[in-house]
Amino acid sequence: MKRLTKHPVLTFKRGKKIKFYFEGKELSAYEGETVAVALHANGIKNLRKTPKKERDQGFFCAIGKCSSCLMEVDGIPNVRTCITRVKEGMSVRRQRGRGEILD
Amino acid sequence: MNKASVVIIGGGIIGTSIAYHLCKNGITDIVLLEKDYLSAGSTGRCGGGIRQQWSERANVRLAMRSVELFQKYSEEIGLDIEYYQGGYLLLAFTDEGVELFESNVKLQQEEGLDVKLLTKKEIAEKFSFINTSGVKAAAFCSSDGHANPHLATMGYAKAAENLGANIMTRTKAIGIDVINNKIQGVNTDKGYIKTGLVINAAGGYSHEVGQMAGVDLPTESYRHQIFVTEPVEHIMDPLVISFENNFYIRQTKAGNFVMGQSDDDEKPSHNENPGWRFLIEMTTKMPKFFPFLKQMRVLRHWAGLYNMSPDALPIIDKSTTISDFYYAVGFSGHGFMLAPAVGEAMAEWIAYGKTRKVDISNLNIKRFAKGVTREKNVV
Amino acid sequence: MRYLTELHVLIAGGGPAGLAAAIEAGKSGLNVLVVDEGIEPGGQLVKQTHKFFGNENFYASVRGFDIAKELLKEISNMKNVEILTESTVIGIYDKGVPVLHRENDEVELLKPERIILATGASEKFLQFENNDLPGVYGAGAVQTLMNQYGILPGENILMIGSGNIGLIVSYQLEQAGANVKAIVEAADRIGGYEVHARKAKRLGIPMLLKHTIKKALGGNKVEGAVITEVDENWQMIAGKEKEFVVDTICIAAGLTPSVELVSQAGGNIRYIPELGGYVPERDNDMRTTASNVFVAGDVSGIEEATTAMIEGKIAGLNAAKDLSRKIDEKKLGNLKSQIENFRSGPTSQKVRQGLQKLGFTLKSESFTKNSDDNIEKYEGKKRPVIECPEPIPCNPCETSCPVGAITVGESINSIPTINYEKCTGCGICVSKCPGLAIFMIQELLDSEKAIIGIPYEFLPLPQKDESVYVLSRDGEILETGKITQVTNFGNKTPVVYVKINRGYIKTARHIKPVSHSKNDYVCRCEEITVEDVEKAIDEGYTDFEELRRYLRIAMGPCGGRTCRLNTLKILSKKTGIPVEKLDPGNFRPPSVPTTFKAISEGSEKNE
Repeated sequence: MKRLTKHPVLTFKRGKKIKFYFEGKELSAYEGETVAVALHANGIKNLRKTPKKERDQGFFCAIGKCSSCLMEVDGIPNVRTCITRVKEGMSVRRQRGRGEILD
Repeated sequence: MNKASVVIIGGGIIGTSIAYHLCKNGITDIVLLEKDYLSAGSTGRCGGGIRQQWSERANVRLAMRSVELFQKYSEEIGLDIEYYQGGYLLLAFTDEGVELFESNVKLQQEEGLDVKLLTKKEIAEKFSFINTSGVKAAAFCSSDGHANPHLATMGYAKAAENLGANIMTRTKAIGIDVINNKIQGVNTDKGYIKTGLVINAAGGYSHEVGQMAGVDLPTESYRHQIFVTEPVEHIMDPLVISFENNFYIRQTKAGNFVMGQSDDDEKPSHNENPGWRFLIEMTTKMPKFFPFLKQMRVLRHWAGLYNMSPDALPIIDKSTTISDFYYAVGFSGHGFMLAPAVGEAMAEWIAYGKTRKVDISNLNIKRFAKGVTREKNVV
Repeated sequence: MRYLTELHVLIAGGGPAGLAAAIEAGKSGLNVLVVDEGIEPGGQLVKQTHKFFGNENFYASVRGFDIAKELLKEISNMKNVEILTESTVIGIYDKGVPVLHRENDEVELLKPERIILATGASEKFLQFENNDLPGVYGAGAVQTLMNQYGILPGENILMIGSGNIGLIVSYQLEQAGANVKAIVEAADRIGGYEVHARKAKRLGIPMLLKHTIKKALGGNKVEGAVITEVDENWQMIAGKEKEFVVDTICIAAGLTPSVELVSQAGGNIRYIPELGGYVPERDNDMRTTASNVFVAGDVSGIEEATTAMIEGKIAGLNAAKDLSRKIDEKKLGNLKSQIENFRSGPTSQKVRQGLQKLGFTLKSESFTKNSDDNIEKYEGKKRPVIECPEPIPCNPCETSCPVGAITVGESINSIPTINYEKCTGCGICVSKCPGLAIFMIQELLDSEKAIIGIPYEFLPLPQKDESVYVLSRDGEILETGKITQVTNFGNKTPVVYVKINRGYIKTARHIKPVSHSKNDYVCRCEEITVEDVEKAIDEGYTDFEELRRYLRIAMGPCGGRTCRLNTLKILSKKTGIPVEKLDPGNFRPPSVPTTFKAISEGSEKNE
């Protein structure tokens, strides 16, 4: 996914560059972005495999309503990544099935 | 932008290296002021050589640390700066010259530098493009080399910016506010910046910036000229210098030869315009040592400033009268090669109260009170 | 609650309706808390980069994200209004209203005296094979990624749906640099406003009517799509399939109101498809059947931001009235008639039908142009032609004209007319028109040429004397023309004037930069392409000398003779700074490469 730098109408003010982890791999993001956006910026569209049929899914609505973007964040499952801010050092993983609650 | 913890004046390799290393050590609330564009000053006009063959122990260490950091540069900063460790070949044409090299090489070897003396025969065998008549011996260090000073500056600046620093080009510092010997802020042509700490990395204008803070730095700027040839296939690995015959030459990654000399009759000035006589002298002299040059073409001729200190060694210190005013100035034509280690040292000094990796106390300003011995290994 | 002790009004939702309601309730002296789910408030406004229709009082010709800024600014000056973000009203109970603070995962039980639900709407999901593949996004999601966070969602997009959102988002995708391959619409006509459709058509985006999407192709993400024709009964016709290579499928199939909380509060809801789905039963004062609960905005029926704001104001004023605060009854009355006027035009027919089912009687009017403009009479004069094809509630052309040459009139839905005697040809209307439906024309009488001026919201902005492709209303290339002037009005819609053949004066309505291939060289010596230079400029090297140092432009044997000016032109185009204001860099001797021999031996002769 390409980060836009020039736009005829908008100016994008990005916050501080930070690091977070996706499936153990270090990625960079900007403060103020959501986890789903940060993943997209790093080319990651597939956010989960559905519990029953293991189909790949990304997000759909991006405003916290459709629950397509649920991922495990810092060990907590079923987090709506499209309305959750990405933070320095955050660990994001795709859930196994419905998400694991006991480690 | 109207306040910052640190303001750096100067957007050359020294200023940007300091900015990057400060950020690396956790100090990111920085503004760097550059009155033109990055590397517009001495950095962008220099020959790009990086050597460790110095005559004072402390300087050898500083240069060796710099080389360590240059080796890590592309991985750390993510930019290829054309760093090439093809060595430095210092030619000696007189017995005194040979003696000087012998004592230098001994000291440098004690510091662990991979330097050795070469006989005339060895020089001719290894470097067939040199006309060795008149050459007595040479000092050769294979880990010396060169790099692209523009890219190195831009790399540091971008890296610092990514970590939170604010790099302001086309912004000129016009005054430093001092009340009761404490810095209050820096006035620029784009507005005022409140700060308590200023670093003078202003290269050719280090004296003027010192005056803004009420600090008299013993630096003076002199014009030095330089030119490049058209590019050709790679034939020259090392940068070749002769102090006695007053020249240096190296071949860039793109294939151009860069070369220059010192002009003793230059008076202190900020003149950056090229002069015709230099070109005549160089085009007459150089082919004597490098015959292949006769048919090569001069492509571009320009000049830059050496910010000279009384002993031709850098002055890196903190003002004892005005606080907090740091300066890394007077590099006398050797700022680029030392910049990574200087940036690191300055950042450590500011962050932790003292340097950690190298000792730069020999480069303090108090040394001039004791009398001046000029560094001999300079062109 | 941070510091407000008594909570009078709780507003769920901080979009245009919620913020407008908060402003009115706050102005009446009530303590107001706005609870918004997003990371920043503003609702859908924050993602909207196009200029809104409507009238001056409701931010006509202002871009959505700017409207959000203004509303938030007004609220920031009100001590009795607070906005809570990243928080959700999770229910409405007898005991109170629990609010979830997502950041610290805490629930707070609040006891407001009145509740205004301005919870907006959510995307409709379309059913087709593999519609759950990553890369299938709602239009709102695309806007969030693109306009809020500056991430291009994909390179090649298929847009499903030709309502206003499908048309606008297609335009916005192209502005951001994506390629919209087609807009697919199942009906036999475009769903949105004609002006929005025209903006998309000009860009050459094919509109495929009577088509629907059959399936998304791809292993674990979208790699293509299959669409097919449908008959009058919306059934897919076999053998009429078309395949597209795309990486993103954007679904703009409409919104449906988010009425959960209305129902939880005990308010009645009813299924009215014209309004988007289930909507709350409510009266003229925006009060639901749950007496302490009001609604405003898309939750009460899918419409526009303007009507959302008016409804929000009505709800806010009524909440204040309920709590015995003195309100301006005249203002309330005006708001009600304003919204009725808005809804009286042909484009609001569906909404009127829906509202009628709820028991409202709304006036409808038909609108035609009041008089003929006589554009031909003024041949040779630089003047605007207004191609406003349908009556929409909108009048910034009238209010922005400095000499009063444009008339929409009392009824805001009317199609504007121009008095060419009064018109001075300034072009402000072209820039202000939210539909980008006004163009300047001028026949150059002593030649076979003419000049047209078009509103242009794309990068790179063309420069004077540049050659561009001149396009028809369908985005087809008519010819190449030269830019004669670019006028900036400070609102990000510059007007670009281009010289064309007179024969195209009625058909030329857009331009496109002449495109560069990967092998457009600027610097022959160092083999640097236009793309390389543009990329370096994008990275922040915007000084010629910086580009020179970074790329080695002008460092080759030609000394910049071939490349300097072209580099400066590219720099000028990308930065918008005219070439004459750029620093052209240093010129170094020797002006031709000269051998050592020539310099050294030549000088000896002269001594």
